[in-house]
Amino acid sequence: MAIRDEDIVHVSNPPLNRVESIYIPEIVKGFGTTMRHFFTSFGQGKTSRTIQYPEQRREHYKPEDGGQEPSNFRGVHRLNRDEQGRVKCVACMMCPTICPARCIHIVAAESPWDDREKYPAKFEIDELRCIFCGMCEEACPVDAIELTPEYDVVGLSRQEMVFDKEKLLSIFDATVGKKPM
Amino acid sequence: MDLSKIVTAQLIVNVAVILVVVHVILLTVAYLIYLERKISAYIQDRVGPNRVGFDFGLPILQKLTFGFGFWGLGQPLADGLKFLLKEDYTPSGVDKILFTLGPMFSIIPALMGFVILPWGGVWIMPELTLPFIGTIAGGPVLVAGANVNVGIIYMLAVASVGVYGVSLGGWASNNKYSFLGGMRATAQMISYEIPLGLALLAVLLMVGSLTPERIIGYQLEHGWLVFSQPLACVIFFIAILAEANRAPFDIAEAESELVGGYHTEYSAMRFAMYFLAEYAHMITSCGLFALIFLGGWDIAPFHNFLPLETSSVLVVLAKFGIFYSKVLVLIAFMMVIRWSLPRLRYDQIMQVAWQGVIPLALVVVVLTSVMVYFRLTDVVPMLIANAVAIAAVLWILPRLPRNEPNRKIRLAGSRFYAPDGHDIETAPTDPMALEDRPYEGSLPAH
Repeated sequence: MAIRDEDIVHVSNPPLNRVESIYIPEIVKGFGTTMRHFFTSFGQGKTSRTIQYPEQRREHYKPEDGGQEPSNFRGVHRLNRDEQGRVKCVACMMCPTICPARCIHIVAAESPWDDREKYPAKFEIDELRCIFCGMCEEACPVDAIELTPEYDVVGLSRQEMVFDKEKLLSIFDATVGKKPM
Repeated sequence: MDLSKIVTAQLIVNVAVILVVVHVILLTVAYLIYLERKISAYIQDRVGPNRVGFDFGLPILQKLTFGFGFWGLGQPLADGLKFLLKEDYTPSGVDKILFTLGPMFSIIPALMGFVILPWGGVWIMPELTLPFIGTIAGGPVLVAGANVNVGIIYMLAVASVGVYGVSLGGWASNNKYSFLGGMRATAQMISYEIPLGLALLAVLLMVGSLTPERIIGYQLEHGWLVFSQPLACVIFFIAILAEANRAPFDIAEAESELVGGYHTEYSAMRFAMYFLAEYAHMITSCGLFALIFLGGWDIAPFHNFLPLETSSVLVVLAKFGIFYSKVLVLIAFMMVIRWSLPRLRYDQIMQVAWQGVIPLALVVVVLTSVMVYFRLTDVVPMLIANAVAIAAVLWILPRLPRNEPNRKIRLAGSRFYAPDGHDIETAPTDPMALEDRPYEGSLPAH
């Protein structure tokens, strides 16, 4: 159906008054705003929110000051250990199933221990494919996979960024103090 | 051949000034980019470049500079080095000759413009004896790149050649965005040269000379022209913003619509030449503004501390410094404008030029000629005349017919506007599409 004239609602800008219609006073007001920001943030003044990254880090600040909240930050993964130091994962395949980026690869094997049936013989996460959505830790029934507050993860090759089970367990050892299980 | 006839004192000074000023300006351009990044950063509550010191991250130099960052002052030099070392890529399908000529056509006029600016005023040069040439008679020489007696006209002519670089680059790139950017730049430059010329005309009517040094001389006697010609001053500033392709008139390189505009396809040094040209244009046009409205090397608006002619080199250097700092302040103001005002749409730019600035400039020219005829060109009568003109414009403005800014333009035959006697069907007519079982309906019948 075509749009008819009676259906059209004409919307127009509020009319400018005489001073506004020559624009110059309004432009000067705009300069006032920019110059206020210029002087208040000059040399990292009070309105500047920049953190000088390698020297200052978000961990050094409180969350209300723009710092990091470690308990719900979604950084690199870790594989938790249980009280006896064994890998907690039972290779139930929940996380590779839920993973939207398809970046978790598990090879399950029969568990050498009596208290569980399976354990991961291989556990690999491609950190370059991961989108850090946290679905794996939501899905995990035994809280074996978790995201840590670590965010500066680097590697020199793509292969290096595929983290295997030993690497993920060592991340647990390194971050268990920062984020207890 | 007698060389001493050709090599005059003026020529020696000209060559020296060109050699010095070109290098000063190229270095200034590099640091203007730093300044622009810093100003934009502070306005946006950021920090800006503050890492690259003069060590460039090299371990040997780091020991010399103790790893100090120097507030990022090494950044422009590192950028320049990067531009030199990058691959100068020519995309396939471009017009190779024009693609190379484009940046040259852009930078040559930009660097030609400021030879006429009288950086140091008139210097009374002592007698000089040079080997192979002989004795050169001293005398008053103009400390400028060239002593052109129609300097302002030369400047206008050279500045308008700059548009060739932009449109050639846009055309030769064989890219829709570049082409659009080049076309926009051309239309904009043609439109804004008219108010530029008219505002200049108003000033030249009062001064009565095209020689840059005479314009300064007039301002030494009668006070800076920014006070006696405030309207022409604003018009001129708007026009030089448009001529230098600066915001809010930077539609030629509007990155939100045209990727990069005319320099989308350029890389490495050819891109850097466009960049240099843009900033050199800014320096040139701000120099012209400082010369015409802010008294050039004059330090105070109504009192002259510096003599018109001097034999002291120190005074010449002081004049140069004053002139250059005026230019730098104007450029910083242009940068603040860039980060304050939103970019005008293409039709708005044309509207501002043809319906706003050009009629106003004509009013100013007529006003100035009347005042010159009655010999009332002092500051106070000119200010009163300008105030009367502004009041008249404010009175007339609401009485002029206005376009609705967001009016609906009806396109006959479109799906929103049926021709008379027709009804346009925009709902689907296929019966299968109207049924609420699209999946079932698309299956073949049993």
